[in-house]
Amino acid sequence: MTSSSGPTGGPLETAKFPDQLLARVVTPGDEPRVHGYDVQSDLVHHYDLVALTILYLTGELPEPKAAAAVRAALVFISPISVAHASVHAAVLARLCGSPPSAVFGVAAVGVAEQSRFELDAFSDLFEWLKHPTREYPDAQRCTTDAQRQEAERLRRALPAGYELEILNHAPTCMALTLAILQQAGLRRREQFEAVLALARLPSALAEAFAERAVNFSDYPINLPPIEYRAPDVQTPNDQR
Amino acid sequence: MSKLPMTSVESIITHCAHWGYDEHQYFGYRVFEELVGHETLTGLTALSTLGRRLPSNELGVLDDAATALTLADPRIWPLKLTRTVASYGGSLAGISAGLLAQEDARIGPWAVQRSAELLARWQSAASAAGASLESTVGEYLATHPFVWGFGTPYRVRDERLVAFEQRIRLRERDGLTFWRLFQDVARIVHLTRKVPANMGMAVAAAFLDLGIRPEEMGVIVTALISHMFMANGVEGTQDAPAVLRCLPVSALRYTGCAPRQSPASRADCGSEQTGRAVTVTE
Repeated sequence: MTSSSGPTGGPLETAKFPDQLLARVVTPGDEPRVHGYDVQSDLVHHYDLVALTILYLTGELPEPKAAAAVRAALVFISPISVAHASVHAAVLARLCGSPPSAVFGVAAVGVAEQSRFELDAFSDLFEWLKHPTREYPDAQRCTTDAQRQEAERLRRALPAGYELEILNHAPTCMALTLAILQQAGLRRREQFEAVLALARLPSALAEAFAERAVNFSDYPINLPPIEYRAPDVQTPNDQR
Repeated sequence: MSKLPMTSVESIITHCAHWGYDEHQYFGYRVFEELVGHETLTGLTALSTLGRRLPSNELGVLDDAATALTLADPRIWPLKLTRTVASYGGSLAGISAGLLAQEDARIGPWAVQRSAELLARWQSAASAAGASLESTVGEYLATHPFVWGFGTPYRVRDERLVAFEQRIRLRERDGLTFWRLFQDVARIVHLTRKVPANMGMAVAAAFLDLGIRPEEMGVIVTALISHMFMANGVEGTQDAPAVLRCLPVSALRYTGCAPRQSPASRADCGSEQTGRAVTVTE
């Protein structure tokens, strides 16, 4: 017997809920403001997208020097090649002939996951950034000439007179980047993950859009090699 | 900045699948010879997420869980998320977004996984000599204001659990180890906190009795509830209501910072205006 009668009520009809959605950052409607700042009459004349990103995430505009340092750091971390799973996945989406919005979605998920994964290795640094009088974590120091040269290149790109305690500890480039973001106002792990992912998204998208849809013959399907090994199976008695 | 390894390309071993000419492999089974005509969609779901086939009476427990878990009201948060994304016209975009939001979330399949971890921990503790379940659970409650698998928001009991419990009894699985443990824990928690168990804890217990490990719970439960995301993704795309794509101003309330002038703008015109938090109803 089937029932076609409609419901007579349920928890969502009985319980009390607000009838409006809260907007906490951007004012809805015309002439939007971000955390109180008029975008079209004020911010557009004085700030770039990097400063605006810091404003969105922290609620405050960064000081000019801090913004310049973030700009340099984000340029440094922006490129990720197709070697990385995040970009590789976006290229695969393009190969499948997925629409651009789906390629974007795959790339966004990929770089977000990559950022989360990579930042797991920096929990000691985040602790140190909260308590910079403690001993600096050894794992976040340069140990090779290549690392030292890379960190030095980023240091040289920072604005004149920009000071950071971490510069006294031979930080790796990523450690220095995270310290620069913290100096600009980022505090929570989710804010760091977001900024890293945003900085990397363009390179993932560009690499994907440079591929041709259904160009399967030029794609190395056996890279890396994936070898099937049948597991031992025990078929349940009633399915033999 | 992202370093590449300088090693050679190593092979990856998969137990999942292989594409052959006339026959394909899936977790050790020949697809056409052994699975086609012999395995159900629920059976494939178990094989795909657990790497092993389950007998039909155990697959019945998965079916009971999936059907009893069917609470697909589009107003429920993850399903509404699915609808909001689907309102732009992409069913799978909405479904993917809804499913993506399940991993490690406070509600949904990972709540089942956390409940299973608790039950497994309490089972180990209860098996240890000299520890009573009351004291083990009591110690946990003393230090944890929130207990996974308990609480039934907006109603006095979880109606899904009532339906699922009946099915477990009919299948005569209510005497199994984890189901009995679940009943005992539910009694202890209710005595202390006056909070009833929810469907997450019941599914965790029933699945532990199937030999499903806690760390396997999140994904298999996601697979078993994916039909609800499909339903909302598909209907959400068909409807694609404009009101969901963009709410009218009357439905919004701005509670952020009051209008203020940026430091650079102030420096330009030599004036000063600072912001403060306000509540403005548009």
